[in-house]
Amino acid sequence: MSALPVDLDLAWRSLPELLAGLRVTVLITVLPLMFGLALAFPICFARMAERRWQSLPAEIFVVFFRGAPLLILLYVVYYGFGQIALLREGPLWLLFGSPFGCVIVALTLNHAAYMTEVLRGSLLAVPSGIVEASEALGISRRHIFIWVKMPLAIRYGLKAYQNEVVSFVKGTAIVSVVTITDLTAVANGIFEQTYDPFTPILCAAALYWAFINLLRIGFELWGRWLARHQREEDSPRTAEAPGRFGLRRLSRLAKAML
Amino acid sequence: MTNLSPAEIAGYLRQLGEGALVTLELFLTSFAAAFVLGVLIGVVTLSRSRIIRAVWRVYASIFMGVPSLLVIFLIYYGGSAMLSAVLGELGAGVDISPFGAGVAAFAAVYAAYIAELVRGAIDNLPKGQFEGARALAIPPLVMWGKVILPQAMRLALPGLVNVWSFMLKETPLVSLAGLQDLVASAKIAAGATKEPFLFFIATALVFIAFSALTLRLATVLEIRLDRGVRRPDARASAGAQA
Repeated sequence: MSALPVDLDLAWRSLPELLAGLRVTVLITVLPLMFGLALAFPICFARMAERRWQSLPAEIFVVFFRGAPLLILLYVVYYGFGQIALLREGPLWLLFGSPFGCVIVALTLNHAAYMTEVLRGSLLAVPSGIVEASEALGISRRHIFIWVKMPLAIRYGLKAYQNEVVSFVKGTAIVSVVTITDLTAVANGIFEQTYDPFTPILCAAALYWAFINLLRIGFELWGRWLARHQREEDSPRTAEAPGRFGLRRLSRLAKAML
Repeated sequence: MTNLSPAEIAGYLRQLGEGALVTLELFLTSFAAAFVLGVLIGVVTLSRSRIIRAVWRVYASIFMGVPSLLVIFLIYYGGSAMLSAVLGELGAGVDISPFGAGVAAFAAVYAAYIAELVRGAIDNLPKGQFEGARALAIPPLVMWGKVILPQAMRLALPGLVNVWSFMLKETPLVSLAGLQDLVASAKIAAGATKEPFLFFIATALVFIAFSALTLRLATVLEIRLDRGVRRPDARASAGAQA
C-alpha cells in the first residue's frame, strides 16, 4: 500500500461525476432551505400565538419534525405517504410519486421545524421596549415586524441559522436511500465499481468540506455586513484602507473560520 | 385500517424491540467513546504548543465539515486497510463490523464537538482555580479530576445535551452500512406488512420519546452539577423540584 491512500488518476477521472453529484447536493440543499424558511414563518406565528388551538398544532409539528431522525422522515414520506389514498389519487401525487419530490418534502419539513425554533428564539430576543416604543410612535404592526423586529432578529439568530444550515447540508447525505444520486451516492457508486475504499469517499468529503466552508464564509461575511455600524465606531478607518482588502482580510477571515 | 393479527403484531414488535436494543447500545457506546475522547482532546489541546493547536484545528475543521455518513462509510469500507497499515500483520485480519464502524465514526466526529465544548468551558473557569490547585500542591491528575473538570462539566452541560440529542438523531445512519438496528427492523416490518406509515411513525415516536425522557434526566443532572454554586435560599426550591 502506498503512503498516500488516494489514487490521483481515479480521482481525476471521477471528478466530473462527483461534480454532477455535488450539483444535486446543492440543489437538494437550496430548494428545501427556501421552502423551509417560507414555511417556518407561519408556523412560528402560530407557535407564538396566545390561543392554545393555534399554538398546540405548531408545537406538535416542531416536536415531531425536529425530534424524528431525518432518515426516518424520509422513509415516512417516501414509503408511508403512498399509503394515503387521498394523496395517491390527488394531484399531489406528482410531487409524492417521485423520489426527488419526496426528498424535497422531507427535508423541507425538517428544516421548517428547526427554523421555527430559530425564528422564535430570535424574535423573543428582541427587547420588548423597542417594540413598545414603535407602537407608541404609531407604527403599524406589520411595519414594526418588517422594519424593527426582523432586522434585529436576523442579527440575533444568524449564528443559530448558520449552525442549522451547516448541519442541514450534512444531513442531505442520506438521500441516496431513495435513489437520488447526490455526492454521497456517486462516491458510493465509484467504490462499488473500483473497490477503492479511500479515493471516492475522500474526494466526496473534500467537496462537502469545501461546500460547507463556503457557506460558513458566506455567513461570516453576512454577519460582518450586518454589524458594519458597530465596526466603524470602534476601529479607526486607517486599518481598513481600500487597497488592503485582499490578503489581510482573507487571512483574518480564515482565522475566524478555523 | 390495519389487517394484522395480534400474533403478527407481537412478532414484529419483538423484532423492533431487538432492533431498538441494538440502536440503544450503539448510541450509548458511541456517546461514551466520544465523551472520553472529547474530554481528553479538549484538555490536551489547551496546551500552548503551536503544533498541537494546528493539528486540533485541522482535525476539528475536517470532522465538523464532513457528513457523518461519509465518515461511517470510510471506516466501514476502508477500516481494515487502515488498521493493517497502522498495525501491520496484527491488524490485517480484522474485519470491521457495521457496529464498530459506527462507534468509531461517531466517536471521531462528536469528539471534535465535545472537545470544543470542554475547551470553551475550561477557558471560562477563573484562573484562580488552577493557581489555587498549584499553590496547594495538588497533583495534576487530582486537579483535573476533582477541581477543574467537575466545574467545567457544569458549564459544558447545555452543549453536551445538544450533542446528545443530535447524535441520537444520527444513529440510524449506521443502518445504511448494514447494521440491524431499530430502523432496519422497521424497514423490514414495513416491507413485509405493507404498512410503512404505521411502522415508520412508530419508530420516529420511539426516538422522540427517548430523547424527551433523557432531557428530563439532563435537568436532574444539571441540578446536581449546580449544587456547588447554588445559593442557600435557592436550595429549598431546587430540592423540591428534584
